[in-house]
Amino acid sequence: MYAYSDFDQQFIQQRAAQFRDQLHRNLEGELGEEEFRALRLQNGWYIQRHAPMLRVAVPYGELNACQLHALADIATRFDKGYAHFTTRQNVQYNWIPLVQSADVMDALAKVQMHGIQTSGNCIRNITSDCFAGVAADEVVDPRPYCEILRQWSTLHPEFAFLPRKFKIAVSGAKEDRAAIGWHDIGLQLLKNAQGEVGFQVQVGGGMGRTPVIGTVIRDFLPWHQILVFIEAVVRVYNRFGRRDNMYKARIKILVKAEGQRFIDEVNREFQQILEKDIDGAAHLIPQSELDRVTAHFRLPLGVEGDVVAAQDAVPMPAQAPLAYIRWLERNVHAHQRAGYRCVTLSLKRAGQAPGDATDVQMHAAADLAERYSHSELRVSHDQNLVLPWVRVANLHALWEAAREASFATPNIGHLTDMIACPGGDFCSLANARSIPIAQAITERFDDLDELLDIGDIDLHISGCINSCGHHHSGHIGILGVDKDGAEWYQITLAGSDGSTQSGPALAGKVIGPSFAADEVPDVIEAVVEAYRGHRVASEKFIDTLKRVGLEPFKTAANAVRRTTAKAAA
Amino acid sequence: MKFITRQTDPWHTVCGEDGPIVTLTPRAHSLLTLLQWHSVRSHWPHGMPVAVALNNETDVSDIVNDLPRLGMVSLHFPKWVDGRAYSQARLLRARHRYTGEIRAVGEVVVDMMPLLHRTGFDAVVLRGDQVQASAQRALDFFPAHYQGDTHDNHPRFARQGPATA
Repeated sequence: MYAYSDFDQQFIQQRAAQFRDQLHRNLEGELGEEEFRALRLQNGWYIQRHAPMLRVAVPYGELNACQLHALADIATRFDKGYAHFTTRQNVQYNWIPLVQSADVMDALAKVQMHGIQTSGNCIRNITSDCFAGVAADEVVDPRPYCEILRQWSTLHPEFAFLPRKFKIAVSGAKEDRAAIGWHDIGLQLLKNAQGEVGFQVQVGGGMGRTPVIGTVIRDFLPWHQILVFIEAVVRVYNRFGRRDNMYKARIKILVKAEGQRFIDEVNREFQQILEKDIDGAAHLIPQSELDRVTAHFRLPLGVEGDVVAAQDAVPMPAQAPLAYIRWLERNVHAHQRAGYRCVTLSLKRAGQAPGDATDVQMHAAADLAERYSHSELRVSHDQNLVLPWVRVANLHALWEAAREASFATPNIGHLTDMIACPGGDFCSLANARSIPIAQAITERFDDLDELLDIGDIDLHISGCINSCGHHHSGHIGILGVDKDGAEWYQITLAGSDGSTQSGPALAGKVIGPSFAADEVPDVIEAVVEAYRGHRVASEKFIDTLKRVGLEPFKTAANAVRRTTAKAAA
Repeated sequence: MKFITRQTDPWHTVCGEDGPIVTLTPRAHSLLTLLQWHSVRSHWPHGMPVAVALNNETDVSDIVNDLPRLGMVSLHFPKWVDGRAYSQARLLRARHRYTGEIRAVGEVVVDMMPLLHRTGFDAVVLRGDQVQASAQRALDFFPAHYQGDTHDNHPRFARQGPATA
């Protein structure tokens, strides 16, 4: 994975020193709360319900074992012993006192980590495919491009105070595991007929109140032009994006409102940078720079297998336990190299919030990475951890060790592998709690045989319309809403993140008035039962939904109303 | 970065009791609104120092032909978190080759300094409650950056030999 240069290391130390200065001025009364807010946000510090929340960047989801150990130590030393992995592949803490924040930034800087641009109205941490660099279906490894984008966007002086946050996702595989259509800029790496590498560029996707899928504004942008093109997009947005209404400030609104004019303006700006600006072509990326950055992503020492088209079978022990077979089916994924697999460590299990891990568990995951994955891990968009370099020969031993450490729930892709934001238990934006809903559903569907029979379902839960839990893109989406101070939940169906299984990215449709919290598990069960009733052969949930339409599911969901039926009567 | 105070500022706005005066007599070091400038530009004496103040919605390419005559362009931050003027300054320097003073006015606070400096501002009027020493210090945290800026538009990778790790 990417190894910091001396410059990178000094840079984050300088950033930590700058933050310490800002914190000091704040504590001394020189820097007011309102101004400090925008500054601390751009270092990942929110003020939440109980304490500040710190969001630590995990650039494009890559972590090494040493960093995860350090994250675990921070959880022990400064927090209440746990952390939360997010859909944007980052890590969040919920209980660190602000006075200790500068010390935490120093501790992070020591292991090449930081909170730069994990919040605020700037270009956020860039996300990617959790299997980048190891995916069996990879066309181009997106990580060097992600790193070049990370460096370019880091403390960009012109784009630190945009109308609103700005998120870029990059995918280099056939399967979109980064939900790129849902991002302000979604980049798909591809090769043209001549074998040259370029990007398909989508702009203006986003969730929130107005879910919009990105518009393709370039089918094939040569890779070396990407920084200049993004500069053009972001400059047009900085100049013309709305600033009068926070809910209309994302670039998606500008793209929707202006349509072709937006695209024309971006293309014009792009040409002008190259033709008119002083050294305007300076940000065209030379091959030597791509090579230099690519060299940072060298294969871990000791990795042997060749890149192959077809995968060898996983050898089964003579009497393989059913649990192991299930784990192989659900948590073990194809790899581009012979003799290797990617393995998901499930962070979805009864008794813990989706995406949460204790300090002990983080140390355990780091240990597993050291033993079985050349000390590398990934954070997935689905809020799990991934070991990207597991030898086929080690799978059984890893399974046993992962089971011991509570990471082996064979539920990846199942209903209980849900995405959920921290919700009203922690987040001061939330209208309703997510975690108890997630837990109630996890408890309801605790039978592995039943989960296996139900098959693949994307269940996404957001505690408010800011959509951190991506409810819009779930096959089943749950959105917390506030009515007269009480928590209610709106259910949507048939959303898509843009994966092959789910179809082109799409926002789910609301199936009726909101449900009471205690009705939600029943609604999910009713919807799942309706699916089982209507499915043909081995048809997947999302396919049945698309084939028969929402009506039977609405009817089933509405039939379980108790509290809301009484309220309506 | 020049820190401008009222006492040391050679530029003065031309205001009446009801706001900017539209019919004005050319005087050296006038700082005019765009509207005022448009009303006098045709007969403004050659060589007499003049400056304009732009709001942050102005397209700076609209004044390209006037730039050689302008000793200073003042760009406004209505709120310090409104970043439009950074793009204006950057375009003035990098695209339109403006070499006169670019001044930040409005809600200008200490922690904007590195951004202002790097997008081409060379003068600021700090908000009244800001500490100049802190602003000076804020300029010095980072000796170098990844991406180019108006002082050198070469990103780090183009500033050094590719062999450096």
